[in-house]
Amino acid sequence: MILSVDESQALAPELVMVAGIILAIIVPNLGDARVRLPLTSMRVPILWGGRRFELTSDPRAPGVLSAIALAIACLLSGLAIESADGMSISGVIQVTGFSRFMTMVFTAALAITAIASIYRIPSTRLLPEDLIDPDDSVESSLMDNRRQVDLYILLLMVALGMSLMALSSDLFFLIVCLELASMASYVLVGFHKETEVGGEAGAKYFIVGSIASATGIYGMSLLYIWSGSLDFDTLAESWSSMGELEPLAGIGVGLMLVAFGFKVSAAPFHLAAPDAYSGTNAPIAGMLATASKAMGFVAMMRVLIGFAGPNDGVIAWGFALAILAVITMTWGNLAALSSENPKRMLAYSSVAHAGYMLAALAALGSGLADSDTQDMLQMAIVFHLAVLVLFKLGAFLVLTLIEIDGGGNKISDLHGLARRDPIIATSMFVFMLSLAGIPPLSGFLSKFLMINGLVTTTSGTGALDADGVIPWLQSVDPFFLLAIAIVLNSALSLFYYLRIGLVMFFEKPGSESPLSPALGLRVLVVVSMIFTVLFGMGPASQWLLALIETAIASF
Amino acid sequence: MTFTDPLSIITLVPLLSGLLLLILPNVLPQHISQRMQSSVRNVAIGLSTAVFALTTLIFLGTIGQIDWLSIGMGSFVLETEDPVWLIESIGVTWHLGADALSFPMIWLTTLLIPISMLVQWDVERGHRFHALLLIMEGALVGVFVSLDLFVFYVFWELTLVPMFFLIMIWGGEDRKYASMKFFIYTFTASVLMLVGILVMYFNTADSIFSGSLTGHHFNLVEMTEQARVSGLIASEGLRHLVWLLLLIGFATKMPSVPVHTWLPDAHVQAPTAGSMLLAGVMLKMGAYGFLRVAVAIFPESTLTFVPLLVFLGMASLVYGAVVCLGQTNLKRMVAYSSVSHMGLIFLGIATMQPIGFAGALFMMFAHGIISPLLFAVAGSFKHHYHTLEIGSMRGIAHHSPFLAGHMMLGWMGSLGLPLLAGFVAEVAIMIAFWMTFGWWVLLPAITLIFTALYYLTSMQKMIFESDDPHQGILPDTLHGEDPRDVTWHENVGMFILGALTILFGIMPFIFWDMMSVWSTEFIETYLIHAMNALEAMP
Repeated sequence: MILSVDESQALAPELVMVAGIILAIIVPNLGDARVRLPLTSMRVPILWGGRRFELTSDPRAPGVLSAIALAIACLLSGLAIESADGMSISGVIQVTGFSRFMTMVFTAALAITAIASIYRIPSTRLLPEDLIDPDDSVESSLMDNRRQVDLYILLLMVALGMSLMALSSDLFFLIVCLELASMASYVLVGFHKETEVGGEAGAKYFIVGSIASATGIYGMSLLYIWSGSLDFDTLAESWSSMGELEPLAGIGVGLMLVAFGFKVSAAPFHLAAPDAYSGTNAPIAGMLATASKAMGFVAMMRVLIGFAGPNDGVIAWGFALAILAVITMTWGNLAALSSENPKRMLAYSSVAHAGYMLAALAALGSGLADSDTQDMLQMAIVFHLAVLVLFKLGAFLVLTLIEIDGGGNKISDLHGLARRDPIIATSMFVFMLSLAGIPPLSGFLSKFLMINGLVTTTSGTGALDADGVIPWLQSVDPFFLLAIAIVLNSALSLFYYLRIGLVMFFEKPGSESPLSPALGLRVLVVVSMIFTVLFGMGPASQWLLALIETAIASF
Repeated sequence: MTFTDPLSIITLVPLLSGLLLLILPNVLPQHISQRMQSSVRNVAIGLSTAVFALTTLIFLGTIGQIDWLSIGMGSFVLETEDPVWLIESIGVTWHLGADALSFPMIWLTTLLIPISMLVQWDVERGHRFHALLLIMEGALVGVFVSLDLFVFYVFWELTLVPMFFLIMIWGGEDRKYASMKFFIYTFTASVLMLVGILVMYFNTADSIFSGSLTGHHFNLVEMTEQARVSGLIASEGLRHLVWLLLLIGFATKMPSVPVHTWLPDAHVQAPTAGSMLLAGVMLKMGAYGFLRVAVAIFPESTLTFVPLLVFLGMASLVYGAVVCLGQTNLKRMVAYSSVSHMGLIFLGIATMQPIGFAGALFMMFAHGIISPLLFAVAGSFKHHYHTLEIGSMRGIAHHSPFLAGHMMLGWMGSLGLPLLAGFVAEVAIMIAFWMTFGWWVLLPAITLIFTALYYLTSMQKMIFESDDPHQGILPDTLHGEDPRDVTWHENVGMFILGALTILFGIMPFIFWDMMSVWSTEFIETYLIHAMNALEAMP
């Protein structure tokens, strides 16, 4: 398959990622190797192998390379949001503003992960004396940059898979891309071999993930039997021509929900997530909580809204998703309350956030929302996915900073952080407040838009003449209760988010030593904090929402 | 230019400069930041005095040429005109304004901040303390000036943060418990209030303030107008529910029995400046919000629940007074007397008489100068005598004449001595109570006499009584040292508050006139209509 000029322009971000993968393979192997031309004594440098150059053997090289590739991809896709015209490529890809926006979100999250990994993975230049000591050799080999390359190649593959998934206009292609990203992320979770739990976390995540995927693929095959095609347009036609819900279609969509439910870590498919988050290192855990979750939601929206949306009498999944949402958010918050490991706590908080977004998605499936409200709900979900990259990943970045010196697995490692590093502690506090949905931060705005969507969806249903609260609640549509569930859960979640703030500011620190001076990481944390505030109010939030509105229009 | 009108300045300048003063020493190089730390308090007190001067100029009419007596209901001075969007998508605007309900509170806040800084001039880690007080000032003024419920709520919650830190870092031995209790109590209550606000939000009609995405707005002026013309929420049950949610939020802040228990703990543990602001302004936020939001928007519900208000008011008044009788801790006693006085405010509102409203408004102001005086006295007593136990000493007048003098003036003001500020408010509320409830007025009146009795006896013991006129009994905590009198800066602060207590006792009309005009119009505009509607019902 050869891409035309137009097509390659439209797929520029993906091509950049592919180029990044190729470069990441080649660059660390470049050296001063020469080959002797046959029959002569001329030795020609072929650069491949031999003694590696200073630059190419630098342990940070692959990380920098992949971060640059991802940043360029992010920029390119950001610029393409408004100009994307829905070009169809090979019948499986459709370049829309929506998919470009999501590519921007994915690559932004992965670029941040890549930069954080440069500091997180112990990366020291190999010295000859390191290798002499037999006890140290295992550790040293882990620090070699040839191993590091693998991590960044995997990160780029995750980005490529996610980005293509967002572009897909065919269910089969969507699943394949989803698997590309998932497979790479399973390895990433287990990549952290220095700790003993890394491998276990990776294996657990892989096993549960592949069962979920298998279920989803089975669902897809049922849909294929039912419709005869996996193209979204054909599926949408078949769906809207159904008079009543046909079993094959219903079961197919339901089984696919299992696969996507695992990706977004919705209860009860979330059980592997806390182990995976706490077993892997903080940047990867942050990637799982933001990019991977966003991928799951995009896939879910593609299926549920893309073709299986509610229409004349066929309201298939709204109610099921609503129940799932309530269970997810409540379970997540209750479990987070008792977590003593900050990564585990953030994992459960991520489960809770999946619940909020599922609630908004459920309202879309209720069949009550008019088209304006539907747009609003979708905007709320996408806005939440986008700003999560700032404050959820930001919180994991702070944990990365703590992990660099060892630790980061107990709440007590955060004790007295304000005394050790006031700026980082303040940023962490802002991230926590935003996760809790405290106005006027961006986490509040997204949550508020979801609640607003839910209320608007059901606003016509409450009886105005009810003379008490209970009769009024009885007269209103059950989907209204989702809004109440979000509010109550947000109140519940405050306790564990504020607890982090409390221990950072008021407990005695375990060690007085300052945090590691990882400059790039610190800059990222502060920038994330600033944007967490900016996207919550004022013209910046308006700009982002307008961008999302453009993106949603081409969904 | 947006954000440069006088009200924005008195809100944002203290807030931002406080933040800056808090952050700068952490990011600047060591030698600069150390030099900066010693000058923070000078900057802070200079700024807050300038803000106070600005507020006074607004009051005198030099800025804005305001005739306070012509400010009726629903119109505000220095009101922001065009929508200044903060979050356009959901309809949040920067909309400020002041009227007779809020302005005395704003003036009081800007006055109390420099005074409380002065009283705790030499506090440890002062560069953080005074910066936090500046943030506190911005947040408190923000609560009173914002006419957008969202911004109001944000400022409302923002006041918690500096106060939490003040108690947690500079508090007494039990500060951790007290600050957590304070935070959890008021925060939980205000989350319930937020739910009420959200229900109101989702019922607002289209207006120029509506959000671009949601089609609703948080503008209080528009909401109040909509409520007056057509009723904000159609369902009566929901209306009552929202009113009750708001009441929980506001009553916890006031605080009223039975949700008052955070207050004594917070007061006893808080540093002096924290106590002064807590009693002086933060408690009034509850009464202010109750009148501004709950009563103005839901007059029918307010009238329906008048018995509840009377009950809460009476319970707070009597319970506060009775518990006061049993207190041996000076600060705890003043704290319970605050609960008692806040009960009077509820009673004043429950009368539904113009004079009762005006009395409640004046009580908010009068208590706002008298109770900080009392807490300043208690703080300085703790500072110089290292104890707060009333029984542990006798005859301090000999050792600390200034302290004893201020203490007497404060107590006299608190028990409602004629010609002091508290008297005006109490009399007005009693008159209104008599007008509405007849002889039931004896109940609060007798309670007030009991309070006076106890104040007088403990004053007599503590300040004057002594077997040996030159010695008295000194508490053990002094370990035989000679007690000192107040320091000059404490003295200046107390003198100002004492002078104001007398000034507003002799010349209450400075604020009283505008308050009574406002109250009359408030009742005519909102409540008469609701009363007629209720009477018309079978």
